[in-house]
Amino acid sequence: MADRSNVVGTVAGPGDDPNEFVFVTPSDKSIKTGEFITYTISVEGEPRSVFARVTNRELIRGLPEGFLADPEVGPETVAATLGVPTDDTELYRLTATVIGYYDTNMTTFANPRQLPDPGTPLSIAPHQQLETVLPNLGCETDSTDVTTLDGVAHVGWLLNRPAEATNLHIPIEEFASTHLAILASTGSGKSYTASVLIEEMMRPSSRASLLVFDPHGEYDTLAEMQGEEAFQGEDGYEPEIEYYDPERLRVRISELEIGDVMAILDNPSNRMQERLSTAWQAMQRQESRTWGIDELIGEMERIYGDDDASVGALEWRLRRSIERNDLFHPEENVPLDEIVDPGQCTVLQMDTLDRRDQQLITTVLLRRMYRERLDDVRDRDSDIEHPIFALFEEGHRFAPASGESPSLGIMRTITSEGRKFGFGLGIISQRPSKIDQDVLSQCGTQISMQIKNPNDQDAIKNSVEAAGEDVLRELPGLTPGQAVVSGDAMNTPALIQVRQRRTPHGAGSRPVIEEWREAYDERQREPTQSESADFGEGDSTGVQSLD
Amino acid sequence: MTDTPPDGDSPDLDSCVRIGSIVSSNSHLDYVVEVYKERDCDRPPELHEREFGQPVFIKKTVNGTEHAVIGVIYDTQLVDPDQGRTGPRLAQDDQAQFTPGYIEERTTLAGVALLGTAEIAEDGTIQEPTHQMPRWTLEVEDTVFHCPDQVTVSFHTVDEQIQLAYMDRLLDIAGDLGSEVIVALIDRLRGVLPEDDPNHRVLDVVEQNVQWQAREQRGVV
Repeated sequence: MADRSNVVGTVAGPGDDPNEFVFVTPSDKSIKTGEFITYTISVEGEPRSVFARVTNRELIRGLPEGFLADPEVGPETVAATLGVPTDDTELYRLTATVIGYYDTNMTTFANPRQLPDPGTPLSIAPHQQLETVLPNLGCETDSTDVTTLDGVAHVGWLLNRPAEATNLHIPIEEFASTHLAILASTGSGKSYTASVLIEEMMRPSSRASLLVFDPHGEYDTLAEMQGEEAFQGEDGYEPEIEYYDPERLRVRISELEIGDVMAILDNPSNRMQERLSTAWQAMQRQESRTWGIDELIGEMERIYGDDDASVGALEWRLRRSIERNDLFHPEENVPLDEIVDPGQCTVLQMDTLDRRDQQLITTVLLRRMYRERLDDVRDRDSDIEHPIFALFEEGHRFAPASGESPSLGIMRTITSEGRKFGFGLGIISQRPSKIDQDVLSQCGTQISMQIKNPNDQDAIKNSVEAAGEDVLRELPGLTPGQAVVSGDAMNTPALIQVRQRRTPHGAGSRPVIEEWREAYDERQREPTQSESADFGEGDSTGVQSLD
Repeated sequence: MTDTPPDGDSPDLDSCVRIGSIVSSNSHLDYVVEVYKERDCDRPPELHEREFGQPVFIKKTVNGTEHAVIGVIYDTQLVDPDQGRTGPRLAQDDQAQFTPGYIEERTTLAGVALLGTAEIAEDGTIQEPTHQMPRWTLEVEDTVFHCPDQVTVSFHTVDEQIQLAYMDRLLDIAGDLGSEVIVALIDRLRGVLPEDDPNHRVLDVVEQNVQWQAREQRGVV
């Protein structure tokens, strides 16, 4: 007789859906919803382990609810009184959906199109097998030690299993080339998850070239990777974490496109737009790339004459919007070779810039980098000769569904074509419904965390192909740190607990109560004005608060 | 058998009131008892001693050990051989009653369902009660005794907890009046248990359940 010691249940028959089957377990074999189970069938003469996911669990035999009538009398007592045995009385009927067996040639799941026969024993899928087949790792067997693979990111472990029992390693290459979306409501750990991914990408086995657009300055603890043993390679590699504060962020005026300029000017009239675009094009045709507003106005005056009213109005607008803004500069630019390099993670801290400036610098940087990647792939001279990955915190700011951002165009271009040029984007957002649907739908890998807002759930449903019903159903019930990983990097979606960061987390909520109390105590210590009355006896007149 | 009227609450099984004798059975667990009348014994049972839901016992000696097979009255039936005879009666104005012979043949039959068994100790009390189905068959003319309330409680107490583990079988045998028998038994137990006994609440839940199920079956709810 076959060994049935690890059998947890027995197939009862087919379920409602073509890929669904029903099985029965006693109460001591506690199987949670979402658990992966496996059974063996013969495919073309070879025994294959077929995986299935438990989707529902209901009690089919148990003590009647009438036994629960008095909260102070336990149902077991009532059962004992009536001579009803209470050991192993409960029977559960579980529904499971077939995922498929791991096809080693296709390195993904193949549906056997055959449900298990009634009576087929089911067991819990072994850890190592799941580690191999759940993520899209392309392993040639269905049980590989995935920790030895290069270029994988350990993001966490399966939620239904004990901590660190079934670890999930997702292929970095997959999400870095077909883009990534981290969607979660605020406080559920999206920047934490992003930091875990950054840590994984900066490890010696990957040495990614990363760029983080950080509108809130939440990633300032990543620098602690430097000096950590876990990030040091045998060849002396150590990740470089580079911070760009707003003072160092510059946009060279000639890098702006006419559309960008129009977006920052106050309601230019049609006549002004015409004047500006003619002059702008003329300036762009010039050899020099270091011209400023003065040169631009000079060009307009040359074309339209000194006393043109529209040119005068434009001059005022241009000087106010561009010249007085420190972000724009006739010559200075963010040097691309400084911000992208393999093994370097550059954090662009934009917390003091206003939203429009954040969008503009992002637009210009993305455009420049995309151009360089294009040149590199087409064997032209290029400043960036390696693939890059850019991560956008508050992604809905840069690719808003409302379309009101100059960066939207280039974001759409990169998400739809960046794969060919080694340019990956990662969008982090708490409002999926406010992200441009074209951009979101092109993000091949999704890490979705707790999302309760129905609009945001709809946005995920509409734009994320891999988000099946079972993924969406999980979203409201997740707690912080729990996530559903789906898409290109996975062979099938999985619920995970995100692992602990190696560096401390910097973006938590502020200890509001503590800060209030401190501020109050501070205020109490300062003498108030009424106390500073001078009775002419001492030489002190008290300290007057000038705040 | 005994000359002194027995005390109804005495746990002494030897001095219990006799209720009647077995005349037939419907199944292994379901017996018909003819209730004793004035002429049958010294002290026939009073009405309240053979009421609906009254626990009874029958003594049986098995393998040298004396056992009490415990049952309960779950049904009663009146038998009148005169019924249906509509011919002329001999009764007249000066002789109100003239029904020779037949009057003695009117009987009351009681249905007794078996609940379980217990051993009878030497001091006349019962011990090791079990609510399993009794395996022994009773005989015609076996005497059925009134079961005192104290004995009823000891029969229902297993490991210091009240048990009615025979309930499924009893409901099955008693049929339409099943829930009423159980409620009667519970009432009887409740009357004997001390007021602060935790088993009261358990009995409440059981009673509620049984009554609810009966109301459901009868279409009330």
